[in-house]
Amino acid sequence: MIQLSQVSKRYPNGHEALKSVSLEIAQGEMVFVTGHSGAGKSTLFKLITRIERPTQGQVLVDGKNLGRLPERKIPALRREIGVIFQDHKLLMDRSVFDNVALPLIVLGMPRNEIAKRVRAALGKVGLHGKEKQLPITLSGGEQQRVGIARAVINRPSILLADEPTGNLDEDLSDEIMDIFADFNQVGVTVLIATHDLRQIERMGKRTLHLNEGALIEHG
Amino acid sequence: MGSYLTRHLQVLFATLGDMARTPMASINTILIIAVTLLLPALLFVSIQTAKSLSGQWQGQPQFTVFLQKDISDGAAQLIFDEIQLHPKIELAELLSPDDALAEFRILAGRGGGNLDSELAFIGENPLPASIVVMPKSGFANAQHLQALEQELSQFDGIDSVRLDLAWTDRFNAMLNAFSRISVLLSALLFLALVLIVGNTIKLLIYNRRDEIEITKLVGGTNGFIRRPFLYYGSLFGLFGSVVSLVFLLIAASLVAKPFDQLAAAYQSSGFVHQPTLMEIGSLVLIGITLGWLSARWAVAQHLRKIKPS
Repeated sequence: MIQLSQVSKRYPNGHEALKSVSLEIAQGEMVFVTGHSGAGKSTLFKLITRIERPTQGQVLVDGKNLGRLPERKIPALRREIGVIFQDHKLLMDRSVFDNVALPLIVLGMPRNEIAKRVRAALGKVGLHGKEKQLPITLSGGEQQRVGIARAVINRPSILLADEPTGNLDEDLSDEIMDIFADFNQVGVTVLIATHDLRQIERMGKRTLHLNEGALIEHG
Repeated sequence: MGSYLTRHLQVLFATLGDMARTPMASINTILIIAVTLLLPALLFVSIQTAKSLSGQWQGQPQFTVFLQKDISDGAAQLIFDEIQLHPKIELAELLSPDDALAEFRILAGRGGGNLDSELAFIGENPLPASIVVMPKSGFANAQHLQALEQELSQFDGIDSVRLDLAWTDRFNAMLNAFSRISVLLSALLFLALVLIVGNTIKLLIYNRRDEIEITKLVGGTNGFIRRPFLYYGSLFGLFGSVVSLVFLLIAASLVAKPFDQLAAAYQSSGFVHQPTLMEIGSLVLIGITLGWLSARWAVAQHLRKIKPS
C-alpha cells in the first residue's frame, strides 16, 4: 500500500530529515513509527500525503508514484488518506458537525447524505449528540476523537496518525488506540507515529524506528 | 448540474454570511469600490451630456458666403450659379441685401428697438448679399469643409467665407481629447481598484489560513478552495457598483440645475445625461468583473503558498 525506496529528503535549509529510507507497508497492516522528535516521522507523513516531495528515491502510495503525480491529482490522493494530528487541527470557529463534514463537503456530497454520515462517524468515536458544539467546549480526548471522525468519514484506505495520544491519559489513550485497531480490523491500513511505548507493547504490531532520518526496523 | 448549482449557492450564501459577520471591513471595501467607480461614471455622464449638447448645436454644417458690398445683382447671380453647380455642394441659397435686411428685421424685432430710425440714419441698407451653402453630406467633415472654405474664398467677388462649424468643431475636438483622457484615467483607476481589492482578498486568505490548510489536507481541490474568495471579490464588486450608482444619482441631481441653466444660455433644451438601463448594467458588470479579477489575482498569488504543515 505504501512503499518507499531509497527515499531521502533534504529541506532547503540543509536539514536532512530522511536518509535513504526504504520500507513497505502492506494493505490492511497496522504499523507504529517511533523515534525522538526530529527523527523524520513528520517528514515521512508529509511525503505520503504529497505535502513534500522526496529529494531522492521513490514514494509509491496505492501503486501511484507520488514523484510523478501531477498537481491536479493531489486532491484525489489525499481523499484516500485520513490524517490525525496531535494538535487535532480543528477549526475552532466551526461546529463539530462542520469540522467532521469537511472531507465530504469538498466532494460536493448532498447535505442530507453528509448529515447521515457525520452522525454515524461521531457515533463510532463515541461523540453522539455533540454535533452542534464548538470544539473549544470539548475535552482534549473528545477533540482528538473529532479529528478521528473527520479522518475516517470519507472511508479512506489509509489512516495516518501523528502522536494521537500525545496529550492524553492512559485510559483515553487506550480508547483512542482501540478505535484505530477497529478501523484496522475492517481493512484500513494504519500508520501511527508515537512515543508511547506502552501502547506499542499493548497492541503488539510491527514497529519502525527512525533515528536521525535513518530507519531501524524492529520485529 | 443541480448539485453544482446548489454548491455554488451554498458558497454564495456562506460568503454573504461571512461579509455580514465583519460589517465594517466589508463596508470599507465596498465604499472604496463605489468611490473609485464613481469618477469614471461621472466622467462618462459628463461626456455624454456634452455630446448631446454638441449634437443639438451642430445639425447640418453650413457656410455663409458674403459677397463684396458693391457687387451688381447680375454678378451676384453668376457667382451663385457657379456655386450651385459645384460638385461638392448640395444646396445653395442666394440672399439679396433686401432679404438679409428682412431677416435682420425679424431677429431684431424680438428685442424691440427702433431699427427703422437707425437705418434712416445710415441712409442705405448696410448688409451685403450673401449665399448660404450646404455641402454634400459626403464632404461634411472638417478636412473637406476647410478645403471647400479655402476654395470659395478664392472666388472673384466674394468678400469672406464663414464656416459656421468652426467653433463646434473645436468643441468636438476638445471633447474627443477629454474622452481619451477619461478612458486612460478610468483604466488607471480600475487597475488601482484591482490592486486594492486584491490586497483585501489577500488578507482574507491569510485570515483563513488554517481552514485552507485543512481543506487542502482532506483533498479539497484548488477550485473548491478558490471559490469563496472569488465570490467575495464578485460580491464586493456588485455591492460597490450599486453604491456607486446611488452616489452617481445624488451627484447628477446636484449638478442638474446649473447644467440646465448653461444649456438654456445656449438656447437648447439642456439636460444631464440620464444613464440608460444598458449603461447601468455595464457599470454593475464592470464592478463585478473587477472584483472577480482582484480575487483571481490575489488567489493566484497567495493560495499556492499556503501548504499544510
